[in-house]
Amino acid sequence: MKTKLFFIFAVAIFAGLAGTASGQTNTDVLIKNATVMTAAKGTLTNTDILIRKGKIDKIGKNISAANARVIDATDKYVTPGIIDAHSHAMLDAINEGSLSVTSMARTRDVLNPTDPSIYQALAGGVTAANLLHGSANPIGGLNTVVKFKYGRPIEEYLIPGAPPGIKFAMGENVKRGRQPARYPATRMGTLEVMRDAFERARDYKRKWDDFRAGKTRVPPKKSFELDPLVEVLEGKRLVHAHGYRADEHLNLMKLAKEFGFTVATLQHGLEAYKIAPEIAKFGAGVSIFVDYWGYKLEAYDTIPYNAYILWKNGVVVSINSDSDERIRRLNLDAGKTMKYGGVPEEEALKMVTLNPAKQLGISKMTGSIEVGKDGDIAIWSAHPFSVYTRAEMTLIDGQVFFDRAKDIAMRETLKQERERLEKNEANLPPEKRLKKPEKPDGDTKADETKPEETPTPAIEGGIDR
Amino acid sequence: MKKHLLGFSVALFVFTGLSLSVKAQIGSYAIRNAKIITVSGATIAKGTVVVRDGLIESVGERVQIPADAEIFDGEGLTVYPGFIDANTNIAIQQAPPTPPGQANQPQSNSNYPAVLRPERNVMGDLKAGEAQFAGQRSYGFTTALTGYSDGIFNGDSAVINLAGETVSEMVVRTPFAQHVTYTTNRGGGFPSSLMGTFSALRQMFADAKRLDQIRKMYEKNPRGMKRPESDPALEALIPIVNGEKPLVVNANAEREIIRTIDLAKEFDLRLIIAGGQEAGKVADRLKAQKVPVLLSLNFPKRTVAANEEADPESMNTLRLRVEVPKTAGKLKQAGVIFAFSSDGLKNMADFLVNAEETTKNGLSEADAVRAMTLSAAEILGVSDQLGSIETGKIANLVVIKGDLFDKDKTITHVFVDGKLFKLPKKPEKKTTPANGTIAQVGGTWILSISAPGQRVEATLVLIQTGSTVNGTLSSALFGSSPIKNGAATDKGFTFDVNVSVGAQELSVAFNGTVEGNKVEGIADTPQGPAPFTGTKTP
Repeated sequence: MKTKLFFIFAVAIFAGLAGTASGQTNTDVLIKNATVMTAAKGTLTNTDILIRKGKIDKIGKNISAANARVIDATDKYVTPGIIDAHSHAMLDAINEGSLSVTSMARTRDVLNPTDPSIYQALAGGVTAANLLHGSANPIGGLNTVVKFKYGRPIEEYLIPGAPPGIKFAMGENVKRGRQPARYPATRMGTLEVMRDAFERARDYKRKWDDFRAGKTRVPPKKSFELDPLVEVLEGKRLVHAHGYRADEHLNLMKLAKEFGFTVATLQHGLEAYKIAPEIAKFGAGVSIFVDYWGYKLEAYDTIPYNAYILWKNGVVVSINSDSDERIRRLNLDAGKTMKYGGVPEEEALKMVTLNPAKQLGISKMTGSIEVGKDGDIAIWSAHPFSVYTRAEMTLIDGQVFFDRAKDIAMRETLKQERERLEKNEANLPPEKRLKKPEKPDGDTKADETKPEETPTPAIEGGIDR
Repeated sequence: MKKHLLGFSVALFVFTGLSLSVKAQIGSYAIRNAKIITVSGATIAKGTVVVRDGLIESVGERVQIPADAEIFDGEGLTVYPGFIDANTNIAIQQAPPTPPGQANQPQSNSNYPAVLRPERNVMGDLKAGEAQFAGQRSYGFTTALTGYSDGIFNGDSAVINLAGETVSEMVVRTPFAQHVTYTTNRGGGFPSSLMGTFSALRQMFADAKRLDQIRKMYEKNPRGMKRPESDPALEALIPIVNGEKPLVVNANAEREIIRTIDLAKEFDLRLIIAGGQEAGKVADRLKAQKVPVLLSLNFPKRTVAANEEADPESMNTLRLRVEVPKTAGKLKQAGVIFAFSSDGLKNMADFLVNAEETTKNGLSEADAVRAMTLSAAEILGVSDQLGSIETGKIANLVVIKGDLFDKDKTITHVFVDGKLFKLPKKPEKKTTPANGTIAQVGGTWILSISAPGQRVEATLVLIQTGSTVNGTLSSALFGSSPIKNGAATDKGFTFDVNVSVGAQELSVAFNGTVEGNKVEGIADTPQGPAPFTGTKTP
C-alpha cells in the first residue's frame, strides 16, 4: 500500500514536467518477446511487434528491423492502449448548466493539454479517452475524443477521423432543483426538452434546405445550438447518453426511433442489465462502472454482473472511469468482470480497449493489436489483470509517452529543479523575500502583489456521474 | 529670454521641502544639452528638444530655439518619449451606489445579459481632470489605454493622454478596440461556464456577420424582405467581424492564448492579446498570426507565508513565476510586437521595476523602452502622433536625471500635450530637528488632498507633545483612522496612517510643511504621491 502511494506521488511530481515524456521523432519500434494480448485474435506468447511510422506493421516471431528502437519485453505483457469511454480529464469547464439544451458548448474550446491527470492516466496504460460534457442538461455539449499525447500541442491530441459526438443526460442530475430555477424538473420534462430540441432542429434544417434550394432570399440565422442536432439526425454525430434507470434508457431509445437517430452509448447504464436484450436489439453500446454504485438514489439498483449480462446478450460493453483517479486502473476494473459472471479474458480486456474504440467510432484505427492499426500499446510488468502489475511503458502512434524507468530516473532531476526554483526570489514566501532597495522617489509599497497569480481558469462544477 | 537651470529648481524643491507646482503650464520650452532617446531614430548624445503649442517643434543636435521659449539646461538629463501604459482601467467614473430597495441591474433593452453588451464605450464614463493622473505622471506616464474590466465583452476602450481638464482634451483615440475577458454570467444564466462563454462569443460573431450581410441586402432593395433587426450589441460587433476594429482579449495561460488565436482565426478577427504571461510559449503562433501583445508587467510572486504543514507548491506554479519575466525577451526574439501594461499591478512604481526586470531576462534596455513608448503607440494605432521624439508629434516627454534604468534616477519633468508638469521632489522623511525649533502643529486642520483620481476633503486632529504627535485623520471617504509614527519637525509634521477605501487598505505617509495656519505637503500613497493643502481652524 505504501509503495503504491509513493508511486502515485512520484508520478504526480513527474507530471509537472510537460514535454519531456515525449518529443522523439517517429522512429520505428520493435517490441521483442512479449506475451501479446491482442484483444482481437487471442493471446500470443514470445511474440514481437514492429511499429513502423506509428502503425503496427508486423506481429510475429523473430522479427528483425534495422534502425528500429528495440524494447525487450521478455516476461512482460503487451495489450492495446486502454481507452476510457467516459472522462472529464483535460477540461477547464465540464458543465454549461445554465440551459436545458447546450449543444453549442464545445469541450474542444476548453481542453487543457497540460493537465497532470493525462500523465497519470498514461502511467495506467491509457492512450485515449472520450472527453465528455457533464450531465447537467438533457442535451449537453459536444465531446472530444483524444489520444493522451502529453507534452504535445493540443492539435496532436485530436484523432483524425474520429466521429464527433454529443452528450445527452436523463434522470436526477438533469431534473434536480437549481438556482436560478430551470426547466425541466421531472423525467417527463426531460423527454419533452429533447423532443422539442429535435423538432426545432428539423425546422432549422428545413429553413436552410429552402435557402440552399433558392426558395428563400435571406440566409437563416446560423445556430450553433441546432447544427449539432441536425448532424445527429443525419447520423453524422454520435450520441453519448448519461442515464441510470432502465425505464429512461427505454424512453430514449423510443425517442431516437421516433426521430430516426441512433445512440452510440448509454453512459453509466446501472440498470442496463434489466433490458439487455432490448439494448442489443436497438444497437446501442453501454459504458459502465464495473462495480461502483449506491452513491445516489438512482444508483442503487445495479449489480456487478451488469457487464457480464450485457455481454452475454451481445451488447458492446465498455468499462469507464468518469474519474481522474479510476482512469489509472481500468485494467483491474476489466479483470473484475472475469470474477463476476465469468467474462472470458479476451472479452474482459476488450471492455477497456476494443469495445470503447467501437463505441467511439475509432476501432478501425485503434483498440486492438492488429496489423495496420495505430501503435497504441501498453507494456505491463505482469498480467494486466493482476493487482501486482504496473504499466512500464505506454506508446501512442508508436511513440513512448510514458516510460517508468525514465520516470524514476527523472525524479532526482525534478527534485533538484524544485530546489532551484524554490530559491528564486519570486517563489520565496513574502516574509523571506528581499526587501527591494528603497527607490529614489521613496516608494515603500514595492512588495505588494496581487493575490491571484496563476493564470489557471476556474473549473466549474465537479464530475457528474 | 527666460532662463532656468533645471538642476537648480530640483535643488530648490529639496530646500523648500515641498514643490506643489503641479499646476500645468502650457507654452514654449526648449531643453538643451540633454541626452535624447528618440526611440524612432538614433539617440542624440547632446541635443535640444523644442516643445511648442503642444507639439514637438524640433529635435536635434543643433536646432533653432525660438525667442519665446523657456530654456532648460539638460546637462545630466535624459529625455524620453512619454511612457504609455498599454492597458488600464483608469479614469473611469464609478456608478453611484444603488439606493436601497431598488433593483441593482440597470434597465436595458438589450437582447443579451449584462456580460454580453459590446455596445458600451468607455468614453461615456471617462472622468475629466488631470489631477487624477498625478500618480501616473510621477512615474513618467503620459498616455494610457483605458477601458472597462467587467463583463465578457468589456466594451470599447480609449487611448487618453494623462492631462487635460475635459474628456475631449484627454482623448487621443476612441474607440480603440473592443475588449474581452473570459468570465461568465455569474447570476447563473447563460453562459455559466468557459465553454458557454466561447459558444456565446461564437454565436454573436456569426450573428453580427449575418446582420451586416442582410442589412446590405436590405439597403439595396427592402421590398419583399423582412427588415433586419435593430440590435446594438450585434451592430457594435460588425466592425470586429469585418476586421476593421481590433479585439483585445485578456489571456495569460498558454492554452488560453491558443484558444483565443483559434477563435480569432475562425472569424478572421484582428486580435490583440492582453496579459500574456505565457505568451513566450506560443510566440511562434502569435508571430504567424501577426498578433501583438499588451504584456502585463504584473509579475506573479508567491503571496502565501511559509508553512511547514502546507503541501509544496506545484512545479507549474514555481516555474511560471520564474518564467514570466522572460516573456518579453522571448516575444522580441520571435518577432512579436508587444507593449508593456500595468494591468493588474497595484503600484505604478512596480511598472518601472519590472520593466527593468525584463532587461535582466533577455530583453535589451532599448527594447524595454520601446515597449513602453513606440511599440505601444503602434499597437494602439497612434504611432503617427505618439511614442517617439520626432518633429510634429504630440509633445509627450519625460525628463529623467540619469537614465531610466539607473538606480538613483529621478524623474524631474513630464510634458503631456506640451504641458509642463514639474514633479514634486519628495522631502526627506521624518527629519527630527537637530536642535531647538520644532513647529507647533497641534490643532484641527482641514485638509484637501489631491489623491489619484479624486480630491479628498479630510479633517486632521493633531495633539502635540514635544516632537511627538498623536491624533486622527477622518473623512467621508474612509472614516476615521488614528495616525502612527507622528512627529513634529522643524518645518511641519510627518505621520503614517492606514485608511480603508472600499475593500482596500491603503498605507499613506503624510509630510507637511507648516507656515502659520497653512500647511502644504505630500501624501505618499500606493498609487503615487498626492499633494495636499490645509488650513488650521482657529
